[in-house]
Amino acid sequence: MTKQHHTHTQEGDVGRYVLMPGDPGRVPIIAAHLDDARHVATNREYVTYTGTLDGVPVSVTSTGIGCPSSAIAVEELFRCGADTFIRVGTSGGIQPGTKSNEIAIATGAIRHEGTSLHYIPIEFPAVCSIDVVQSMRKAVERLSLPHKVGISHSKDSFYGEVEPERSANSDELLEFWRAWREGGAICSEMELSTICIVSSLLGARAGGMMAMYGEGEFGPLDNLIKAAVESVRELIKLDKAKER
Amino acid sequence: METAGKQYHIQLKRGDVGKYVLLPGDPGRCEPISRLFDNPKHVATNREYVTYTGTLDGVPVSVTSTGIGCPSAAIALEELVRCGADTFIRVGTSGHIQEDIKSGELAIITAAIRDEGTSRQYMPIEFPAIADIDVVLALHAAALKSGAKFRTGITQSKDSFYGQHEPERMGVAKDLLERWRAWQLGGALCSEMEASALFVISSMLRVRSGGVMMVHGKEPMPPLDILLETAVGALREVIAADRAKGRPVTL
Repeated sequence: MTKQHHTHTQEGDVGRYVLMPGDPGRVPIIAAHLDDARHVATNREYVTYTGTLDGVPVSVTSTGIGCPSSAIAVEELFRCGADTFIRVGTSGGIQPGTKSNEIAIATGAIRHEGTSLHYIPIEFPAVCSIDVVQSMRKAVERLSLPHKVGISHSKDSFYGEVEPERSANSDELLEFWRAWREGGAICSEMELSTICIVSSLLGARAGGMMAMYGEGEFGPLDNLIKAAVESVRELIKLDKAKER
Repeated sequence: METAGKQYHIQLKRGDVGKYVLLPGDPGRCEPISRLFDNPKHVATNREYVTYTGTLDGVPVSVTSTGIGCPSAAIALEELVRCGADTFIRVGTSGHIQEDIKSGELAIITAAIRDEGTSRQYMPIEFPAIADIDVVLALHAAALKSGAKFRTGITQSKDSFYGQHEPERMGVAKDLLERWRAWQLGGALCSEMEASALFVISSMLRVRSGGVMMVHGKEPMPPLDILLETAVGALREVIAADRAKGRPVTL
C-alpha cells in the first residue's frame, strides 16, 4: 500500500483509535501521554504520532482548522485502518455562565458548514457515537472535571462568529447564533460535524471533547488532554468487554 | 393555551402525569402499555391523545399517544412538558432502511434525520435532532435485559408514509428515491414519523427524549411485546439512574 496523498500515512502506521486536534503543534504534546509514542508522518497540516494505551495502538493526527481538511484526514486515516475518530480541541462556550476551560462532551453537531453537504443532505444528523460519549463521560466524572454534555456548533468562519457585525450577512449570523443558544448548544468549533458525518458514511465512530472559552482566563489544556486520553482508555475497555 | 386549567389538546393538567412518559403513536396502544405499570389509571382522552398514568418502582409514570406525524407529536410534547413531564421515550413501529434488518428487531435511536416540516418551525435545519444520552443508555440496558435483538443508530423521520412506500407515484419521485439512497448510505436504520421533532423540541425545552422502534423488515411483524417490555424496562433504568444521581424522580 502506498502512502495516503495528504496524511502520508499507510496501513499499519495508525491504531484503530485516533485523537484529532486541529493544531499540528498539539500532536506531540498529546502523544506524550501515550506509551512508546513515535512520530509517523508530517505533511501539510497533518502530523501523526502513534503509541499505545493499555497495549492497544492509538494515534494522534492533526486536522488543521476547518471541515475541508478534517474530512480528508478522516477519509485517509480510515483507509489506513482507523475506525474511531475523536476530536480534541478548543471551542467557544455558547451558554451563558460557561467558565473558561470547562469541558464540552459533544453528543452531536450543528452542520453550519459546507463540507458535509458534499456527503449527505442537510436533514441527516451529525451524531457522535454513543460508545465514545459514554467513555468520555466516565473519564471526566472520574477526573472530577467540570463539564457539559451536549451539542456543538461546527462553523466555517471563525471571524463570522467572533465579529459577526463585520459580515455582509451579519443579521443572519446573529439570528443563527440566538437559535443555537435557544436550542441548548454548548460550544462552537470548526470540525466536528464533518468528522461525524464522514464517519457515519464510512461506518466508523466519531466524538469530540473540547475545552470551552467562557468567563475568566483561559488556561492550559492539560486537563482536556488528560480527559481525552482517559476517554480512549475507557473506550478500549468498553470495546474489549463487547468482544467478550 | 389552557381551557379550565387543562392543556388545550391533551386535556391534562399538572399532577395528571409523571415526569416519565412513554409516547406511542397509536392511541390504541396506550391501554396495553399501561398494563405494564402498577395501578394504571385512565386520565384523559381527547382527539388522538390518550393518557394513562400509573407507577413503576413507586414513581409516577405515564403513557400518552402522539397520533401519527410530527405536527401532533410536537403538540403532545409541548403540553406534557407544561404538565411537568421531562423524560420521554417514543415507542412504536418503523420501516427498515438497512436491507439486512429482519422484522422484529429493535432500533434504539441516537438521532433522527429531519425529513419533515415541523422541526423547521423550531430550529434552522443545520441543528441536529439528537436523543438524550441518559435515555439511550437506559434503553440499551433494558434491551440487554429483555433479550431483544437490537441495533443502535439513526432513524429517518418523514412526513409522508406513502411517499416512502410508493415513491414512484409521487411528483417528487426522483428526489424521494435519491434521498432514500442517501439515508441508506449514511447508515440510518429505520424510518418513522415522529422522532426528529420530539428530539429538536426537547433540546429547546431542556428535557430528555429518546426512542425505541420495532423495525418492519420483509417478513411479517411479530407481536410488539418485547418492544413494550423494553420501553417500560428503560423507564425503570432511567428512574434508577436518576435516583443514583440524586435527580428528583417526582414532580
